[in-house]
Amino acid sequence: MAAINESTQQPVQQRNLSKRLQDMILSQEGILFIILVITIIILSNSNANFLTSQNLFNQGRLLAEVGLIALPMTFIIITGGIDLSVGSILGLSAILVGYTWNNLGLPLEAAIVVALLVSCVAGFLNGLIIVRVNVPPLIMTLATLAFYRGLAQGISEARSVTGYPEWFFGLGQGTILGIPTQLVILGIAIIISGIVLARTTFGRTLYAIGNNMVGARYSGLPVERVTLAIYTFSGLMAGISGVIFVSRFTTTRSDMGSGLELDAIAAVVLGGTSIFGGKGSIIGTVIGLVMIQLLRNGMAINNITSDATIVVIGSVLIFAILVNNLIQRLRTAE
Amino acid sequence: MRKTFIAIVAVLLLALMVSPIIAQEARWDGADDLPVNPLACPVEEGAEAEEAAEEEMMDMPEYNGGQPDMAPDLAGQPIVLVDVPKLIGIGYFDATHLGMQQAAEELGNVTVIQGGTTEANIDDQVADIENYIAGGQVNGILFAANDPVAISPVLTRALEAGLHVVGYDANSQPEAREWFVNQAEFNGIGKAMIDSLAAEKGPDASFGIVTSTFTTPNQARWIAEMWAYASNCYPEMTWLETLEAQEDSVLSFNQANTLINKYGDELDGIFGMTSVATPSSADAVTQAGLCGEVAVVGLATPNAMKPYVNDGCVQSVVLWNPIDLGYASVYITRAIVDGEFAPGDTSVMAGRLVNCKL
Amino acid sequence: MTASMTSAKPVSARFSPIVLLPLLLALAVFIAFQFLPFVNQPELGATTIPVLTESRSNNEVGVPTNGLILIPIASGVLLLLGIWNLSNVQMIRATSAITVLVGVLVLEYFVIFAMDYSGEQSTYLGSMGIGFWALLILAFLMIVQVFLPRAAADREFQLRSLISNQESAIAIALVVLILVIGTSNPRFVSTNNILDVLQGNAYIAVAAIGMSMVIITGNIDISVGSLIGLLAIISGRLVVSGAPVWVAWLAPLFIGAAIGALIGVLVAYLRVPAIVVTLGMFSILKGVLIIWTNGQRVTDMPPDFYLAQMRPLGISMPIWFMIILTILAAIWMRYSGLGRALYAVGGNAEAARLSGISQQRVVLQVFMINGFFAGIASVLYATQLNIIQATPPPALELAIITSAVVGGVSILGGKGTVIGAMLAAILLNAIRSGMIFINVSPFWIQAVQGILILVTVLIDLLRRRRQAV
Repeated sequence: MAAINESTQQPVQQRNLSKRLQDMILSQEGILFIILVITIIILSNSNANFLTSQNLFNQGRLLAEVGLIALPMTFIIITGGIDLSVGSILGLSAILVGYTWNNLGLPLEAAIVVALLVSCVAGFLNGLIIVRVNVPPLIMTLATLAFYRGLAQGISEARSVTGYPEWFFGLGQGTILGIPTQLVILGIAIIISGIVLARTTFGRTLYAIGNNMVGARYSGLPVERVTLAIYTFSGLMAGISGVIFVSRFTTTRSDMGSGLELDAIAAVVLGGTSIFGGKGSIIGTVIGLVMIQLLRNGMAINNITSDATIVVIGSVLIFAILVNNLIQRLRTAE
Repeated sequence: MRKTFIAIVAVLLLALMVSPIIAQEARWDGADDLPVNPLACPVEEGAEAEEAAEEEMMDMPEYNGGQPDMAPDLAGQPIVLVDVPKLIGIGYFDATHLGMQQAAEELGNVTVIQGGTTEANIDDQVADIENYIAGGQVNGILFAANDPVAISPVLTRALEAGLHVVGYDANSQPEAREWFVNQAEFNGIGKAMIDSLAAEKGPDASFGIVTSTFTTPNQARWIAEMWAYASNCYPEMTWLETLEAQEDSVLSFNQANTLINKYGDELDGIFGMTSVATPSSADAVTQAGLCGEVAVVGLATPNAMKPYVNDGCVQSVVLWNPIDLGYASVYITRAIVDGEFAPGDTSVMAGRLVNCKL
Repeated sequence: MTASMTSAKPVSARFSPIVLLPLLLALAVFIAFQFLPFVNQPELGATTIPVLTESRSNNEVGVPTNGLILIPIASGVLLLLGIWNLSNVQMIRATSAITVLVGVLVLEYFVIFAMDYSGEQSTYLGSMGIGFWALLILAFLMIVQVFLPRAAADREFQLRSLISNQESAIAIALVVLILVIGTSNPRFVSTNNILDVLQGNAYIAVAAIGMSMVIITGNIDISVGSLIGLLAIISGRLVVSGAPVWVAWLAPLFIGAAIGALIGVLVAYLRVPAIVVTLGMFSILKGVLIIWTNGQRVTDMPPDFYLAQMRPLGISMPIWFMIILTILAAIWMRYSGLGRALYAVGGNAEAARLSGISQQRVVLQVFMINGFFAGIASVLYATQLNIIQATPPPALELAIITSAVVGGVSILGGKGTVIGAMLAAILLNAIRSGMIFINVSPFWIQAVQGILILVTVLIDLLRRRRQAV
């Protein structure tokens, strides 16, 4: 008897391990990771400068702003919502840094704090009306997209603000221990978001809301508070990105960040988060981000014009989801 | 809950009703309050004109550009340049690129590749330039900046990487580039526009302006110069309003129509500040049957304005040759690399443009 | 003996030919109006019926150069409503409609006799009186009521039901806006400007018809802006390279439908979420457009290409397209099988499937229809000006989606009509134009637009919550 158990136990363990490995590889994140690796190999073969640390760090710098926005976007899309106003909140935050520093005479540190506070309020307003009045998030954030951008334009009166002190540029253009500053910030944010999503009740609540909001509410989960929190978080991240923008470009413009929300959504969706809610991970978003950025970078380095580049990126987006759908359907059919 | 909700709606409506009151401020003249430098007014007598023209020949300003760090000596060798316009997909920058290709063919040892992104976005443009710096395959960058300040950090990095940086059409900050090929000084364009309108409609005309956005640097400077010049030389002119129309031709058309409807007989002329706004404004005037009653003056490409000029609706168009602009920038860069053009020089050979004087 | 649930007969689902009668009547009223000898307008030559007038300047004969043209149209449609309801034995509704009609006609004659036109572009706002405007609003709301989907068992006519839908809210908002701004700056309500306001976003309204249908099924299309840009260039290039004009007008419709079919297959059969497919197509179409055109604009089209510049009866073609297409689409969605299937699929896909509706086929077809309407919009867009630009208008898809959404189409699927989308498109243009007329600082125009969109959305929600309660 015992012999039989022993002999059947080992294959079970092995089966569990190989099944887990198979699950990991064949999940959306896994497939995407494989596609990413293939892309990197192809691109680095065609140009030696692609895989240098200098290039990669530079790309990291460029993707930091979208990355910071894509993290709360992951949370929001997992709950089945969406936030189209992040680009406008970024622009508003950038304008406020300039305005409060230049026109109101605040010291730059205070100006940054004010900008971040207003961004939080902007995100909170989104969440408040979505939660209390039940406006669908698409509509609400579509309206605030226009409104916050208009606020930015009105406050700035189409003037730019320049002449910031040198230390401020360290945020967007400097390095910490050789790694670009904003990439460090992004890295910390990724780690925190990943832990929150995967390991805390808060994270599990998000999945529950995305899967079945009514059920979640009746299970006693604080649906409203959680939703408010993630939209405020989204506003905050957009605000931080705005400050980084200003530091990187050394100027403020009211049209900063327009179109950024679509980039963030593309990264999140590419990374395996379902637009209908209930599924997704931070790792996937990160892979999606890196994928899009490296594709753009690689194509430009290989002197492909940007009109062809956007065709490629659009096709990759559709293709990746298509392939993943097929594989998932084959898997569940087994 | 309904009460707070009604409160929100009430506050928003109140803000809406109040906003026109607080929002009616002085008319915009934008451009970040950068200094304007209007040219002299047109004069009647010939002798005075000569004097005025002589006075305008100022001393050559100091060279104020940047220099690349340890640029490799490629005199006489093939070089690769990348063209990074504000955006690709519009005729103007297509023409500048054509000029560059013509110059490259004539020179024989220059290759120009097309860079730039599909939207006039400074973030995208900076990212694009970063890619070319990292790629290490280009020796020089020819740019038309979407924002003069925002593009400077990355151009400075390009100079530090040993690339040559030459601008055209839209400048960056001076120390971030070696040279800038200017189609015309801001004040020259301002003078040309206002003079054209005065010639068509008299010195007491009232005009409206249709531009792309208030934050586009070139347009903003041109409008500021126009205003300064008109205040000096045509104090009777009335500036009615400036409207934004992005790069959308139908929106420009709608905005021009709104101008016509709002001011009626009071409107004498419309300025179009982009090659999209001018034909659309001309279309609006034509379709409203106001050809000749409302003048349309603006910056545009000749092909776009042909039907209106033929109709007699538009009598003058301010334009420059974008092909020559691109052509010149390639020649200048080649001259820099070959060591024939250095800071302090005042003229350079540029192919069919013979002598380019500074 | 089963007691009937309501005292009303369900709305007939068939057109009866008697409906044509009021339309003919309206046309007769309109034509007669041209010949009225007691209209005191020297410029209005009483012997011409304007067909394709070319100029809109104040001095030319055309459609009456004031807003009175609305009156005969309004009375005509009211008559239609009255007869319709009579045929449905909706006595209360019919009586109300006919009362409104009589009131409007009385006011019309009062105005004609009492007014003295100076011939310039004056506002008719103050002279018409508040009463007339109130009646006109009421009449308009009742017209809108005709095309709204109703439950099978019809309810009693109540005044509240008139304003209990988003379409009415938008219509009221539009009229309020026009009144407020028109009182502040009378030039806003001059005929030319009102016609411009109607025309400016007409192509967006047409595209919003297709978009509304897509959103009703629970999907979305972010690529429609790039599609319109591409189709417009195709249209222009066709006609410039010698194809007959009607080919250049029709080709974009079918190419648009084909591209829509491609998107539909990806969404419906390959199960890629619509937002992903259209996000990808947005980039792909834009890139293809730029690669193909190299930034070259299309000019030198032959003069009979300019569909959007034609003015049958003095009203520009885009307005005709917008109104007629919206009404046809609304009727189609209310009465045709596929139209109702759209609502079913959007409301509850599983229930729809169990009822025998193939969700996949419906989604495929709705994306094809969306592409078709995008084609019509692109022709209107391409023929408006002498040039077709190579880059699609920035944020066009945002404008179209905003029109549909503000117009009451629910993103959760299953609710809303295309009439709301059309009204919302007009409202957005009226806001843009109105802000300029009341001298809002140009920097704050976009913020005010954002507030107004927000307010309209909130009012919609308020209304829905009150209904649910």
